Amino acid sequence: MSDILSDTYRNQLSALTGMIPSLDDVRTRAFKKFAETGFPSARSEDWRYSDLKTLRKNIFEQAAKPHSDATIPATICKTAARLVFTNGQYREDLSDLGDLWQAASIRPLANHLMANPDRASDLVHGNDGIAALNTALMRDGLVLNIPAGVEIDEPVEIINVMSGAAEAATHTRHLIELGEGAKLTVLERFIGDDSAYWVNTIMQARVTEGAVLKHIRLQEEGSNAVHTAKTFVSVGAEGRYDTCNISLGGLVARFEAHVRLLVDEATANIDGVALAATGQSHDMVAHVDHRMPNTTSDQIFRTVAEARGKTAFQGKIVVAKDAQKTIADQSFKALLLDRTAEANAKPELEIFADDVKCSHGATIGELDAKALFYLTSRGIDPVTARQMLVEAFTDHALLRIPGEDLGDAVRDRISAWMQARVNSATESAA
Amino acid sequence: MSVNSMLSVKDLRVSVDNKEILKGLDLEINAGEVHAIMGLNGAGKSTLANTIAGRDDYEVTEGTITFAGKDILELEPHERVGEGLFLGFQYPVEIPGVSNLNFMRTALNGVRRYRGEEDISAADFMKLVRAKAADLKMSADMLKRFVNVGFSGGEKKRNEMVQMAVLDPKLAVLDETDSGLDIDALKTVAEGINAQRSNDTAILLITHYQRLLDYVQPDVVHVMIDGKIVKSGGKELAAELEEKGYADVA
Repeated sequence: MSDILSDTYRNQLSALTGMIPSLDDVRTRAFKKFAETGFPSARSEDWRYSDLKTLRKNIFEQAAKPHSDATIPATICKTAARLVFTNGQYREDLSDLGDLWQAASIRPLANHLMANPDRASDLVHGNDGIAALNTALMRDGLVLNIPAGVEIDEPVEIINVMSGAAEAATHTRHLIELGEGAKLTVLERFIGDDSAYWVNTIMQARVTEGAVLKHIRLQEEGSNAVHTAKTFVSVGAEGRYDTCNISLGGLVARFEAHVRLLVDEATANIDGVALAATGQSHDMVAHVDHRMPNTTSDQIFRTVAEARGKTAFQGKIVVAKDAQKTIADQSFKALLLDRTAEANAKPELEIFADDVKCSHGATIGELDAKALFYLTSRGIDPVTARQMLVEAFTDHALLRIPGEDLGDAVRDRISAWMQARVNSATESAA
Repeated sequence: MSVNSMLSVKDLRVSVDNKEILKGLDLEINAGEVHAIMGLNGAGKSTLANTIAGRDDYEVTEGTITFAGKDILELEPHERVGEGLFLGFQYPVEIPGVSNLNFMRTALNGVRRYRGEEDISAADFMKLVRAKAADLKMSADMLKRFVNVGFSGGEKKRNEMVQMAVLDPKLAVLDETDSGLDIDALKTVAEGINAQRSNDTAILLITHYQRLLDYVQPDVVHVMIDGKIVKSGGKELAAELEEKGYADVA
């Protein structure tokens, strides 16, 4: 890492020091790690498909508040509460807590850590330079506690809107904790303008006994953005974590789900869809740790790439020696719409128990010519036929999204993406 | 070509992967007629069906195909359907993720748009498709399932017939629609084909066996050998083929 780069980030660290005293030590240790390792390079096995040269070559200052208020897009489904961030900073004035505050505790990260200095030790330091920098430079985020037995029916939306933040970054950290038997759906949305910004976000969640956390991520960053996101989740006995990551925006985007199934009968379902337009790269990582017997996980990932678009999937399943009767499945399929599109798949299974049921499959291919002819031979025009086949292809990864309106909103975006491909193809042909 | 010509194929030569399969084929079908083309495997029957439907890996090197007075060789497959053509597949394709209902509705609306008509309303479509499915003894559950996924051979062919009935084509080319059917399914499919017969429509049956022709009486039977029609006659020709085999008849 260049000196200028490390100096910049060191200055950012100094500016934050003292603001949340309980974090100072955490920040310093994390920064030390970042200074040692720098940004992950393609030479490291876990990052071989991601191109982070933008981060290595440019200096990203902490994003300031937007000059004028960014337009906050409308909700896409009924929500229990709407928590709005602009340029990575929580905006109480723009948020709508609905009735959620009566049933649950919602606090900005800083307030939480000022009130509970000892909770700074909860913060995950992460596994690489990206996470380390997030830990060193985190400024804001939400802490959501759902008490035991409380079930929040409609999704809680957390939306971050980036605007006028060229060459600026935001490092956010959300903490979610579900008490025993609690139920929550979080819809995370990421939106931004076309400036070259960087969103670096981590969500930590603890799903305790019998609790269910559903986590839908709709990533629609601006076309020049870098988006790096990690989720660290632990699941207790008979608890469940379901996540579906929809990756549409950004120039370089990466999402990692790290899930530990800590107690008997814990379940994780990790799904994702990525659509890579020309020049875009989407990386998805799913890492499930089966620590105890009778735990179950399932991963369904579907990606589509057009000319010079790139998608990658790395799916890791680790089954510890004691985790007998584990059931773990993984399916990755990539569709290439052009010869210059690219998809990479790296399934990894590390199984130390002997009585388990694990499966994985990865395929990369083109649209099925026979299916295409079948549809057109029934009077469906080729554009619509392609659209139908792509939508059918991605749909397998969307089936666990809760709520019809949320599912429809996601499907609408996928069909709009296909429509945009068609329009640009028609324009370039004209 | 007569005034009520439905399909006129002249000196058609078609290659697949640079191998000539159809070697100068002629065929005239008028409105109101049912024709059957019979021939052994590899005679080029399916190539003819796919070429009429416009499949793009079938290269027409010579000849013409005129459908209802219009040269269709330059038309895309979906445009040919818009003109009133239907191909029943020998091996209907499974399409996971697309429901049968959505498939048929998109197809019907595709045809209507091609003809400059409005989309059919959801209610009218449901009424239409339920009636056609009932005629062909297809369950409502099969309409909701993914296209042909998990269907038996007979159910797939029945599904082809429902699609045909919904699209109501001028000319239906049915490629081995009888293969893989038990006797009950064969009768149902035959009823579907007979229901499609009228003075304004035509049907081209492509088959191996005489079996289907016991239930759908053809006006003309053609014998196809090595990419050409070598003999044509009345329905008695089918019985003769069954009895004597292709070598002796041709």
